[in-house]
Amino acid sequence: MNLLELRDIHTFIGQFHILEGVSVEVPRGSVVALLGRNGAGKTTTLKTILGLTPARSGTVTFDGQEITGLRSFDIAAMGIGFVPEHRAIFSDLSVEENLRIAERRKGDLERKEDLIFGLFPDLKRLIGLPGTSLSGGQQQMLAVARALVPDNRLLLIDEPSEGLAPVLIEQMIEAITRLSDTTTVLLVEQNFIVASRLGKTYVIIEEGRSVKSGEMADLVDDHDTIQRYLGV
Amino acid sequence: MADSTQTERPAPSRNRRIADAIRRNRARATVLAVLLFLLVAAMAGLESDQWFSTLMQGLSVGALVFLVASGFQLIFGLMDVLNLAHGELFMLGAYIGWTVYTRFDTFVDVLIPVLVVLAPFALLPLWRDLGRRLAGLERGARLAGWGLLLAGGTLIGVSITKFPLVIWDAEGFATTPGNMSVQLDLGMLTPLPPDSFGWPMALAFAVLFAGGAVLALGLAALRARPGEQRPLSPKHAAAAAGLVAGAVVLHLVKDPLNEWIFGISTTWRFFIAVVVAAAVGAVVGALMEVFLIRPLYDRPIYTLMITLGVGFVLIELAREVWGRPSFTMARPAAFNGTGEGCPAEGLGGFFSGCSTVIVFGSRLRVYNEGFIVLMGILVLIGVSLLLKRTRIGMTIRAGVQDPEMVEALGINVRRVFTQVFALGTGLAALGGVLAAPSIGLSTEMGALFLLTAIVALAIGGLTSFPGAAAGALLIGLLQQIIIRLGQTGIDLPFMDEPFKPSPTLVPAASIILMVVILLVLPSGLFGRGNR
Repeated sequence: MNLLELRDIHTFIGQFHILEGVSVEVPRGSVVALLGRNGAGKTTTLKTILGLTPARSGTVTFDGQEITGLRSFDIAAMGIGFVPEHRAIFSDLSVEENLRIAERRKGDLERKEDLIFGLFPDLKRLIGLPGTSLSGGQQQMLAVARALVPDNRLLLIDEPSEGLAPVLIEQMIEAITRLSDTTTVLLVEQNFIVASRLGKTYVIIEEGRSVKSGEMADLVDDHDTIQRYLGV
Repeated sequence: MADSTQTERPAPSRNRRIADAIRRNRARATVLAVLLFLLVAAMAGLESDQWFSTLMQGLSVGALVFLVASGFQLIFGLMDVLNLAHGELFMLGAYIGWTVYTRFDTFVDVLIPVLVVLAPFALLPLWRDLGRRLAGLERGARLAGWGLLLAGGTLIGVSITKFPLVIWDAEGFATTPGNMSVQLDLGMLTPLPPDSFGWPMALAFAVLFAGGAVLALGLAALRARPGEQRPLSPKHAAAAAGLVAGAVVLHLVKDPLNEWIFGISTTWRFFIAVVVAAAVGAVVGALMEVFLIRPLYDRPIYTLMITLGVGFVLIELAREVWGRPSFTMARPAAFNGTGEGCPAEGLGGFFSGCSTVIVFGSRLRVYNEGFIVLMGILVLIGVSLLLKRTRIGMTIRAGVQDPEMVEALGINVRRVFTQVFALGTGLAALGGVLAAPSIGLSTEMGALFLLTAIVALAIGGLTSFPGAAAGALLIGLLQQIIIRLGQTGIDLPFMDEPFKPSPTLVPAASIILMVVILLVLPSGLFGRGNR
């Protein structure tokens, strides 16, 4: 049973036809990696799921319910967490407020404290600082932690390893692996090594179309496909 | 991002730390420096009893400018909308406040039909649903929408004549004395004969409600979009029923209510006027946001034009309804005492009921230099607490930076937009009603204050709430000091006679201060560099 299904999605941004037929299936409990070159439409696919760039045609189904055309905040409130590309940490808010704002019910943060600080022990000592005073790696952790505060059934994570030092990438991979035990994850990742370690299945997007999908284990050995769609 | 790969930053060097401290505090330092300069200039040029009263007058003007500037800033900061009607909402607040204060009966007469017309709008999901079906008819759907608007307008126009609206007769206001209750007491005016609630009146209510409903349906049909579907909840029905019930109850009790209102002291009546005017300003702002600005968020020039247009409409409306070009408003009794024991001495004198008080040898007006300043400080503290301590404040601060991300967290940002718009316009209307007893009412008062407020915001930094306060304070002090120096003259070196700044220098000085500050700090005192 799929938790999330995209069928033949077409999305426009202004006059530009960005997605020209994207279909993605995210089985419950799995980690799906969206792969593809820069500008292929991976980030737009995530934003279309959330309704931030609404689809003009096609359907998005979440947990058996069609969510195409719903308003973004209603979609998110159904249990979808979003970790955007550039982290989008609120600089006027403290670290605690950055987490607190994601609460959908009072006390969400207290309920998830153990989980969040278990994954990211660093955040605990930074809790009182303003959002701007964090380093890039700390901001990335905060962005993931923010998506964990409410009870989300699906996490959309955009480029978790972007701009991080190798040691932090390891930490991030470990955190997402541990998360995937309890949550379904749809991941956009430019770094194929990272994507291949995290994803159980993959979908390749090329020029706004989903062109290939399958098990990650098969893709790792398929050098032709990697060369053709992901090679630089 | 240069530092994105490091977990810990190295401890900055001593010099770097000092430089950082200076950069962080440059806004505070500049404010202090300008304040110090103004103070020294004032003290050098003025007698001791004059500079204190000048200072307080500056605070008073600053408080009024702040009330306009703060709301304008909140709206611009969160929604990037320059609300050019903001000054007119200030004006509207003053006129509504005046009406509640001196002619409460007229206010109730107008409020009743307005409540009935607004009631169907509370059932918006129902109209959206019907409107979408209408729009689905394809052919003539737009025509049907406009037809419904016309029909709704006609129904309202016909039924509203059954309501006793003294207001449609601008003469009525033009001849209204400044303080109606005094005239009633002296027997110079006779109250209107009481109304009864018979079948004709009930029919008028029903037709008016139907008119509002048809109007709402027409609007919904014109703006119908496929997709989202919100069910009609009991909450909506309860809101509509509550509005109608409120109108009927008001209609039934309006005569005893008027009698009671005209019987209580002007002080209490003034506080009622302040609350009502701020509430009306907030409601008008919310309606403006929902119906005019919301469809245009992605077209900034259009929002600019539509707020400008709303401003003009409000000015003409005020001219048409209230008739006279300008009014004065009597100060409430608590700030208007004369005779025995007045003017009072010392700080306690502010509560003596006298109209003036003598503090540090300076004669201060209790209303202008006491009450208005106090209200300005209360609003500053109140809104600061709202922004810092509450969840909606947190959402506003986050939304200023990245509304899309806030929405992606599952928060209805549009609703927060409406709330902030209502808060901002409510603050402007509050400023208007507070200003009325001090500077009087005129249809131009809004434009004047908005211009001053925008200069104050440019000084303080367009996106910063503390900046609005600092800018308004500086402008108020500067203006009052120059006005006072214009009366007394100031001895300048190399000049034979004392220099007396002419009145035209007052606005010019604010602009000069703005230019100087923007040259030194291009984004204002508290503004961020990146906007």
